[in-house]
Amino acid sequence: MIETIYVEDAIKNHPRTKFILKKFKKSRIIAINKYVEIFNKRNQNFRIQKANPNLILAHKKDSFVLPTPEGFGIGSSKNFYFSHMYNCIYDCRYCFLQGMYSSAYYVIFVNFEDFEIALKKTIENNLSSKLTFFSGYDCDSLAFENVTGFAKHILSFFKKHPQFEIEFRTKSIQKEPFLSTKPMRNVILAYSLMPELMSSSLDNKAPSISKRIRVISELASRGWKIGLRFDPLIHGKNWKKLYQELLDNIYNNISLDSLHSVSFGSLRFPKRMFKDIFKLYPNEPLFTGPLSHKNKMISYDIEIEEEMTSFCKNLSLKYVNEDQIFKCSI
Amino acid sequence: MKNFKIKKSSVRWVVALKEEAQVILDHFELKVVNEKTIYPIYKNKQETHWLIISGIGQSNAAASTAYLYLYSEASTYTSWINVGIAGSDKGNYGDLYLVDKISTYNRKKSTFPSTMPKTYLPKMHLFTSDIPISNYSTHELIDMEGSAFFDIASKLTSKELICLMKVISDDPYNDIKNITKKKISKLIKENLSKIIDVISYYERLSEEESQIAEKPKLFYKIKSTWHFSVTQSHRLETLLRRVESFCNKNDIEEKIKGCETSNSVINVLNSKIKNNLVNWSKF
Repeated sequence: MIETIYVEDAIKNHPRTKFILKKFKKSRIIAINKYVEIFNKRNQNFRIQKANPNLILAHKKDSFVLPTPEGFGIGSSKNFYFSHMYNCIYDCRYCFLQGMYSSAYYVIFVNFEDFEIALKKTIENNLSSKLTFFSGYDCDSLAFENVTGFAKHILSFFKKHPQFEIEFRTKSIQKEPFLSTKPMRNVILAYSLMPELMSSSLDNKAPSISKRIRVISELASRGWKIGLRFDPLIHGKNWKKLYQELLDNIYNNISLDSLHSVSFGSLRFPKRMFKDIFKLYPNEPLFTGPLSHKNKMISYDIEIEEEMTSFCKNLSLKYVNEDQIFKCSI
Repeated sequence: MKNFKIKKSSVRWVVALKEEAQVILDHFELKVVNEKTIYPIYKNKQETHWLIISGIGQSNAAASTAYLYLYSEASTYTSWINVGIAGSDKGNYGDLYLVDKISTYNRKKSTFPSTMPKTYLPKMHLFTSDIPISNYSTHELIDMEGSAFFDIASKLTSKELICLMKVISDDPYNDIKNITKKKISKLIKENLSKIIDVISYYERLSEEESQIAEKPKLFYKIKSTWHFSVTQSHRLETLLRRVESFCNKNDIEEKIKGCETSNSVINVLNSKIKNNLVNWSKF
């Protein structure tokens, strides 16, 4: 239940604003000039807001499509991302969004058409390169799909541009618009995964791993390309056993032909971000693990990172080719 | 060892008139402080609730909020409450409303207090004026202090810990000129149970925030035994928070008792963290 929806005056009559507001008939609507009047202001408490987040409908003015940070990608020469939304309906304890904004309210930018214009420009400027676009870097790309309809909208763009890849990265079990659309070769549905035991403690409000695997299996069997994202890898007691069970479970439950790529990423926070997140959740079990400070980053020791990555990679090599495996190093 | 006094919840009230405050003073058993103060200040025995009578107008509201903050040594997890009367032709005479948007003549931009979630209480926008207004048509609620109170309070605490509540005291049928001290007290009294409901939410919030901000149990004891620089103190606090989550106080004390320097205390705690295998089945 979203209690309050703030709506920028400029988009109050936008058809998508009306479409979204129809879904929240009981919410209180408050007119605002700019979303920054509410969002990410000083002296906001992320943790308190996260308990009952409100929604902001806004118009995005610029920075629609941006290059991804170095080390983020799945094999293309150039990678870009775009976010129609800031913040996430899930509350995962390792997520960088906790330290990114001081506000936990959801911001939805309703001018989807401007994302398309920016995508076209990016494509025109990079015609000779292999491009991959990532949807939802600042949010989960599908978790709020039943409210926004963004994935459905942007799919039609990529239908017209089959030579460019788009990845939807998610923890959701949202199956639409993929059940009602014919599979597209350039679309990757990428699922973030970790052992159920860890996920049940860390992936607050997100669907269980077993539910995610069921959805992956269903969409894979319909012909959609699947990405498996073990990012971040979480350390702890029996981690080898837990990851072995998880990997075997997934690889034995999906059609391997549908696998586009597998990636592994380490748990890493910029020092400043860690400080903010730790302040919010000082008693969080995740932070009692062997995380240490190195080169302005907080992470597991390099030996742990490498042991976990190579263990999971070696297990995966039984099922997938080496050129399908990537390491996310941001 | 520093005598670290933990006050559980912490609430500060800014109220314009004594007549608005009287019911609150009685209910929370607030007594006037035994000192000469610029504005009248009241507090309860436990010093968890403090109330200041600001007088009418934005300058008074701003000054008294800042004054109470300093005088009562409020913290960053203190909840700040403004209760008072307001004019309106949009709501019902005598009803209590929460405020979720504030505007003034002088400022283009509005401000947006967050309100208590899951409440049955109605919400309205507040317009803060420097002069009494009897033409209610262009605004929802009209008062003379709310905007200044919110501006100052939101510099002192998180916006989520600030609450403005208004009881409608005048409208086209109840002339502003006919407001009496007795009527004001009666209007607040009739809404006291609702006000208490709201306050219990802000008390809880403040208490939760204070618990999260509380230093680890061993922090002051360790600091009094070894000398820590400012940077080392921060390091010690963070490490203790992490270690105390999986290791009991006695075990930590046992581990560090042979340490000769603050550096070796930090090294011992670091090594506890480094060797901790999180048991995810426990969470």
